Amino acid sequence: MFDQLTEIIVNYVEVQKEDIKPESRFIEDLGFTSFDFMSMLGEIEDEMDVEIDQEEVVNIRTVQEAVDYLSKLA
Amino acid sequence: MNELRSTLYDLLVKAEEAYGTQDAVRYKVKDADQGGKKKTKVEAKTYTQLRRDSEQISAALTELGEQGKHIALIGATSYSWITSYYGIVNSGSVAVPLDANLPAEDLCELIDRADVTTLVYDETKANVARMAAEKCPGLTHLIAMEGETSVPNALHLWELAAKAPERTDFEPKPEDLATIMFTSGTTGKSKGVMLTHRNLAENATAQDMGYEPGMVIMTVLPIHHAYCLSMDILKGTSIGAIICINDSLLRVAKNIKLFEPNMILMVPLMVETLAKKLEEASFIPAPLVKAKVFGKQFHTVCSGGAYLNPDYIALFKKYGITILQGYGMTECAPVISTNSNSEKKDGSIGKCMPNCEAKIVDEEIWVKGTSVMQGYYKMPEETAETLEDGWLKTGDLGYIDEDGFLFLTGRKKNLIITRNGENVSPEEIENKLGANRLVQEVLVRDCEGLIEAEIFPDLEYASKKRIKDLEGELQKIIDEYNKTAPLYKRVFKLKVRDVEFEKNTTKKIKRF
Repeated sequence: MFDQLTEIIVNYVEVQKEDIKPESRFIEDLGFTSFDFMSMLGEIEDEMDVEIDQEEVVNIRTVQEAVDYLSKLA
Repeated sequence: MNELRSTLYDLLVKAEEAYGTQDAVRYKVKDADQGGKKKTKVEAKTYTQLRRDSEQISAALTELGEQGKHIALIGATSYSWITSYYGIVNSGSVAVPLDANLPAEDLCELIDRADVTTLVYDETKANVARMAAEKCPGLTHLIAMEGETSVPNALHLWELAAKAPERTDFEPKPEDLATIMFTSGTTGKSKGVMLTHRNLAENATAQDMGYEPGMVIMTVLPIHHAYCLSMDILKGTSIGAIICINDSLLRVAKNIKLFEPNMILMVPLMVETLAKKLEEASFIPAPLVKAKVFGKQFHTVCSGGAYLNPDYIALFKKYGITILQGYGMTECAPVISTNSNSEKKDGSIGKCMPNCEAKIVDEEIWVKGTSVMQGYYKMPEETAETLEDGWLKTGDLGYIDEDGFLFLTGRKKNLIITRNGENVSPEEIENKLGANRLVQEVLVRDCEGLIEAEIFPDLEYASKKRIKDLEGELQKIIDEYNKTAPLYKRVFKLKVRDVEFEKNTTKKIKRF
């Protein structure tokens, strides 16, 4: 799941895959804007065929938190 | 063609007379379970249904004794939200749209302060309805917008509408108060902007943007914002547009493919993300990229709410998409100026709307016209500071060129305007962070698009409590604040100072 997510992250922000750590924060460390982040989750919805709740994802801060949330849905 | 309308009633009725059987609103609904997975489908309501449903809501509110009262609306954009809004304002009541992202406690404070007697909510905000029922003594009715609700004693919007007479004989006048909209104040306390039917209806209809009836608009911004409400919903209705509701910010790309819009109203943050999408596939021909990202039929982005880098206008042009940049504020219902297809200039925020004039006083832009608010609800001092002889002091610095185009150069007031068009009061966040003993002084500001807090800690307190990792402790305070703050008010950067801030003669921290 972590690897799958990093593949998608590099399409949205200018970071190298190997620089993405579980504790990396999307906005502060990886340079996402809030709308980049929402758009990426929309893409993940399609790729993983899951339904993401917009109200819940505003509290996801780090890559690990995203992995945990998505693992619950899959 | 646009014709000037001076009440929202007139705006809706004339649109219905002209476009009755055409779709007014399209939206996604969840279909029945199909093999364990819920499919979505698109439903539509015509202009005749929109008018009829809103008139029944007007009649239902009148039956409840709510005519002339203040009625708050909270929830995501939906057909029920839109019909409720028209139903409220056209019944002679005042609609108070609330920001669904705010914490429930803050919303209860706004409900109290705006003297709201009825709260219309969707089920995602049932927690607000429950808390308001307990904490807001002036509230007499709770109305659930759709389906089942978990809130005790709540009424159901569509049941009330079905039982009500088909319509009332009431027709609002242009000078009647239609809406109170909250906007960030520089003192940290949000202000209720009072807008009449004329303010809103004339703002939505004064300018002919060259839009054609049947044009497809997809609405993506939060509906409680003046920009979205006025330009997507009110203007959309007046020109006979088909308004498609984007159900989530997560699904903008997917919904563009579904609804195939011609135009989307955006804030700069969205323009930036979509620009990346366009550039990602820049090795294939521009028309194909545009078709892939937006669809062949797409032609216009209206951008407002915050500063947009003009480079994006040039970039989108390459793909055959026009970005029309405008300027406004809730206090002017909200559009003040806009570029249009026939009149536009690079770097400018456009010419003033036909119902509005501007002048420059000590570099500050002042505007006057039929869209200027009546004042801030129950805030006479703030109103007097902002309105002078009918002129609205915008707080923005700028100039008007010889062709009448407006240009912005800076801000006079101390507000952070984020790239998603939200106005954030630094003082509000400073007050919240400063409430902690470890924070002696704090300054909140914009830092490259992110909100930053610079803190001078109380060193005496830190040593008394034997705090060694000052930065870690201060970050914990910020994390705690961020937990309940809406995304756009969160602090993403921390800077720790080892000396006090420089002060001015009144002992206030120098901001610049």
